[in-house]
Amino acid sequence: MRLRALSFGVDRSIVLRHDGRRMAAAVRSRPSPIAWLIAPALLLFVLFFVLPFGVMTAMSFFSSNPVSNPNAVLTTRHYERFIVDSAGIFHDALWSTLRIGLVTTVISLLIGYPLAHWMARMTSRLGHALVLMAVIAPMLTGIVVRTFAWMTILQDKGVINTLLMQWGLTDRPLPLMYNEFGTIVALVHIYVPFMVLTLTGVIGRIDERLEQAARSLGAGRLRAFVEVTLPLSLPGILAGSLLVFALSISAYVTPSLMGGTDVLTLPMLIAQQVGTSFNPGFAGALGVILLLVSLAIVIAYNRILARLSGEQGLA
Amino acid sequence: MSAPANRRPFDAGRAAYLALNGTLLAFLLVPIVVVLIFALNPTPYISFPPVGVSLRWFEKFFASADFMNALWLSLWVAACVLVLSITIGGACALALARGNLPGRAFLTAFFMSPLMLPAILTGLALFQSYLLAGIGRPTWGLILAHTLVAVPYVLRTTLAVLHNFDRRIEEAAAVLGASPARVFFEITLPLIRPGVFAGGVFAFIVSFDQFPVSLFLVVPKGETLPVVLFNYMKFDLDGAIAAASMVSILLALSVVLVLERLIGLKAYVKL
Repeated sequence: MRLRALSFGVDRSIVLRHDGRRMAAAVRSRPSPIAWLIAPALLLFVLFFVLPFGVMTAMSFFSSNPVSNPNAVLTTRHYERFIVDSAGIFHDALWSTLRIGLVTTVISLLIGYPLAHWMARMTSRLGHALVLMAVIAPMLTGIVVRTFAWMTILQDKGVINTLLMQWGLTDRPLPLMYNEFGTIVALVHIYVPFMVLTLTGVIGRIDERLEQAARSLGAGRLRAFVEVTLPLSLPGILAGSLLVFALSISAYVTPSLMGGTDVLTLPMLIAQQVGTSFNPGFAGALGVILLLVSLAIVIAYNRILARLSGEQGLA
Repeated sequence: MSAPANRRPFDAGRAAYLALNGTLLAFLLVPIVVVLIFALNPTPYISFPPVGVSLRWFEKFFASADFMNALWLSLWVAACVLVLSITIGGACALALARGNLPGRAFLTAFFMSPLMLPAILTGLALFQSYLLAGIGRPTWGLILAHTLVAVPYVLRTTLAVLHNFDRRIEEAAAVLGASPARVFFEITLPLIRPGVFAGGVFAFIVSFDQFPVSLFLVVPKGETLPVVLFNYMKFDLDGAIAAASMVSILLALSVVLVLERLIGLKAYVKL
């Protein structure tokens, strides 16, 4: 192995002098010994990622734990339970998960786009670094902490209600929390940075001169933006939206603290099945359903990103 | 004649644009400031406006055995995750960038996927696997679970550095007679070190703040700080939570500064 590595290094440098193109082909064709460095990561991911997701899927088809209970049988009853939904809560949970995800995504886009545009077009290095820090700092603050922050702002005796009552704008505290509204506000705050970072990269790659050309041809600032920059940033909008949607449908902390009894989402249902009902089979089935939704989104996201980097290669 | 007429609405638009972005930035940052206010406000429950400044909530936080056990467990887990993820993730990034592996794009997407798939499902899947294997919920199981979701961050920052540096430096060293091992230790490793370290810093924070992956994998009395805070918040909202939050916010802020020093935040922006 060692010898091969050595000779590989040498003939590559010789080829380099003679024919760069042939070298590139040779380099591409065979894995180098460095490839073995992938082994620990592969081991970790197979044992603690691929295998467990297989176990979760398998468990969703068993009546009970097949290792501890010899009477466990294969069944589709967990899925039937979800589809039949005799108590009328599972479909609602799926629907509100998707609805909260969608609203969070749209608002994150509306908030994230101006910020991303501002950052991408900023000429001052210091300004750029400061805004970037302001965007990343909340991202590095834990979800539990940020949800707590919103609880102190939105609760009945929180910052907003206290101020509104002090100013005489309302007699009773507004119901800002323990409902879908509060959940969405906090989720938007948590996931906006992901939208901003995705969009900044894409908007930054759009040649500013295109917009200037449109303006010199008589288009107003707004029209130049709507007809030039906005359409060109569409892939970024799509990628950022898919990312935020995928993240917000899997949120657990925020809906369970901010939603009160009003909100029940799929991740909350899964935690209930594990924690209080102790039904790992049904939890597995719910997990598979959430996984399928997320996988569809992830695949779409990766395709868009691949197309994006392809375009970048052409430019 | 028309130029000044054009100029005025342009400036108004610019002002509106800046005002909008200032407001949005405030939306991002105000919650963090509010937490600081409540951490210092001495009233027994969260109430507004603040009546004074005191450190009683920080005292309560640091005097509570439950909080301290959780804090130490979180720090210990995060430290292990840091070491494991820079080793595994750094090696993996080198293999992906320099190994001439077939299907590199697929492998990269595969190793990044824990970031995109619901973290709570990673926790659930591992919980069920540990249950099936009958190993209980050991701390090493939690550490490896966190490592799994931390590796993508190390991979991302290290790959960003690897893509940016000139490969001919390594080739020049090889031409001058350095063995592949020497090229690796004297050229490649020092060059990728900032990327690996930056990834390690992220890995530490990701583990320290981790909730969804931990939820099903911790045992009663052996919970990490975010889980303890979450359980506390379900029943009680007082300044102790704000003080605990401040501790982790300060940790995050110092991390941002370290990152900016190490590689500049821009390298991280490539999502």
